[in-house]
Amino acid sequence: MNLALEAEGLVKRYGARTAVQDISFQVPQGAIYGVLGPNGAGKSSTLRMIVGVLKPSAGRVTLLGGPVTRATLKRVGYLPEERGLYRNMSARSAIAYLARLKGTPANVAFKRADTLLESHGLGSVRTKKIKTLSKGMAQKVQVLGAIAHEPDFIIFDEPFSGLDPVNQRVLEETIRAQAAAGRTILFSTHVMEHAERLCDRIVLIAQGKKAFEGTVPEALALAPSAAVLETEGNFDLAAALAPRGFALTAEGEEHGNRRWRAKLDAEKGSRQLLQACVETGAPLSLFEPARASLHEAFVALVGDKVAVGGGA
Amino acid sequence: MHPVFLVARRDYLAYVSAWGFWLSLLTAPLLMGAVIFAPLLLSRAEPPRVLAVVGERATDAALVRHAFETSARESAREEIEIYLRAAASGASPAALAAFDAESDLARAISAARDSVRASAPNAAAAFPTPMTRYLIANAPASDIEGVKPYLDGQDLPDGRTLYGALNIRRDAAGAPLIEYWSVNLQHDEPTVIARNALRLEMQREALAAQGLPPNEADKLSDLEPETAQFDPRQATGDTQVTSRQRAPFIASIVLAFVLWAVVFSAANMLLTSVIEEKSNKILDTLLTSVSPLQMLIGKLLGVAALSATLFAFWGALGGLGLSQAAAMMSESRMGDLAAAFLDPQLIAAFAVGFVAGYLMYGAVFLALGSLCESIQETQTLLGPVMFVLMMPMLLLGPAIDNPSAPLIVGASWIPTFTPFLILIRAPAGLSWGEIAGMGAVMGVSIIVILIIAARVFQAGVVNQLSATNLFGRKAKAE
Repeated sequence: MNLALEAEGLVKRYGARTAVQDISFQVPQGAIYGVLGPNGAGKSSTLRMIVGVLKPSAGRVTLLGGPVTRATLKRVGYLPEERGLYRNMSARSAIAYLARLKGTPANVAFKRADTLLESHGLGSVRTKKIKTLSKGMAQKVQVLGAIAHEPDFIIFDEPFSGLDPVNQRVLEETIRAQAAAGRTILFSTHVMEHAERLCDRIVLIAQGKKAFEGTVPEALALAPSAAVLETEGNFDLAAALAPRGFALTAEGEEHGNRRWRAKLDAEKGSRQLLQACVETGAPLSLFEPARASLHEAFVALVGDKVAVGGGA
Repeated sequence: MHPVFLVARRDYLAYVSAWGFWLSLLTAPLLMGAVIFAPLLLSRAEPPRVLAVVGERATDAALVRHAFETSARESAREEIEIYLRAAASGASPAALAAFDAESDLARAISAARDSVRASAPNAAAAFPTPMTRYLIANAPASDIEGVKPYLDGQDLPDGRTLYGALNIRRDAAGAPLIEYWSVNLQHDEPTVIARNALRLEMQREALAAQGLPPNEADKLSDLEPETAQFDPRQATGDTQVTSRQRAPFIASIVLAFVLWAVVFSAANMLLTSVIEEKSNKILDTLLTSVSPLQMLIGKLLGVAALSATLFAFWGALGGLGLSQAAAMMSESRMGDLAAAFLDPQLIAAFAVGFVAGYLMYGAVFLALGSLCESIQETQTLLGPVMFVLMMPMLLLGPAIDNPSAPLIVGASWIPTFTPFLILIRAPAGLSWGEIAGMGAVMGVSIIVILIIAARVFQAGVVNQLSATNLFGRKAKAE
């Protein structure tokens, strides 16, 4: 397997505080890879070490087959978490400037800037100064600035934050398009849904430590499975199934039906639950195995408190 | 293009595209011109100040009036002479002779103008009309009590306003006593003219009292030893020190002040630029493309290019003005001074001083800026730093008084002072050994400062080092 990135035992200390503790993961070439975790987990510090902005306290980064050098970084596009552009530059100049800093010739950089702005619905503001653009537009300009030099490896730190749902969808499409063009994408997020929709592989980080690395289905498999049920009338399904070892919680009423959620495990799975419902004569109007989410997997891995960015 | 030059180019264009740059570029020469010419224009715009002279003795009052007329005549003659020296030196002797031949000042000026019109018509159009600073009016009363109301708002019978009055009294011993009456308390120049006139009269009276001819006083007042100053470094021992030899000292002092102001203006630009980038959160984006050292050098180059643009424009204007002044007033102190500013060695010393001072202070300011998140934070950090940076200015005073004093010679070896003090010491004479030594110390210092500044800048721009955690607080991480 060809690797775009190999992070080995990364540690970052700020004085007495350790922000990143022994994090290792590998990003295959061509993959869309997610770095997930709550705010303050150590995601940005990890990404800043990967692109050489921060020097690791310990550990090693191998980027595009070699150490992190200026030459390697020219093949990397990076969108930092703390974003900003020169306020008095026009959108096209800002994109072209970032591309030129990466070695793209001026004429090519400006041409690409125009093309990218046009294809992302910003053609009308290409000569407008950054300070006159909305926050979302400026963020899109910066995303385009990170990819205008057509890098082999794109690293986005929290790229969806600050964007409205429509622009989040547009950015997802951009990421997919870049991946389809053969580029490797690594992005961090604390919103698990984006990773679920986009990522081939993920690494979960909590309190500076790696909690999980693998594919999204592998992560989802760690989440406790559940089922959603509805019963007609006032039938108390929880009471009926309790003697059979099923724990159900009421989730309210809809159209006169009562809604329930049942926790499942390997011994008491959805098949056993359905059978128990039939045997107890429960008037079922809905039986639906609930799809596990990455958030649930994350909570299962690190606990509720840590999953939302609190203490252990 | 190399990233360093891209950073420099962006910074340069950002400054140049700001309207404030053009405002500075254009207003600075106007302000400089205003500083130089405003007093002259204002003095010309002001009508002559009307004075009245009253005295216990009519002869005293007449003497003082005559002194004012003579003073006005001499200054008018000097103004015409300076103009003709620059505009038509060949016409000067005849014009001045025509001036001297007329006793009335207005007629004397006309006679000189007519002479120039005849011999050098091209120079007649701009022929000056010297303004009289004081006009002696007929006193509205015979004593000062009668004059006082006219000094406090009442117009003279001819409609003019009285500026001041000189009352010449005699004390019990018969010595003249000059009283000057005016509501303009800060100005007493008329007493100087009156005192000089009456001093001669007192000397005449003293001689007469001794039974000697009073007119001998005129000869006695002319008795004065001649003084001359020599520079032992001149090749010939009889070469006197003139304003031409003194001019480089004055020019170097002025340039040292200008250098200080320019270096700190440029360093301040760097400071605000890096703080702007930090507060706009641009640096993380740039740091994957340029190293902190490249960014530091790029920024230094950008503002250096901006300064060069300003110098080129101001230097061209100033050079033109100074070369014109040097040519027009070649025999005057102003002409010598103008020529001193154009000395290639002084200009080269200024350029080297700027480069060295700018690199040192610019790098320090950039490093400081990288540690701060806002201008307010910078201001708290700059307090002690500014004290150190003000030190060269504190030394300029003693350096002007004696550029070869041990304190100044010693201080000029301290790299942060060298660019400014070397300029002042240069006209007094520097050995090649000193120049090479100071250059070496300064060069090494610049390299060391750049390396340290780059390290601080590197830590500062990635927020691993800040003004607050320098003082023991914990660093912030994501």
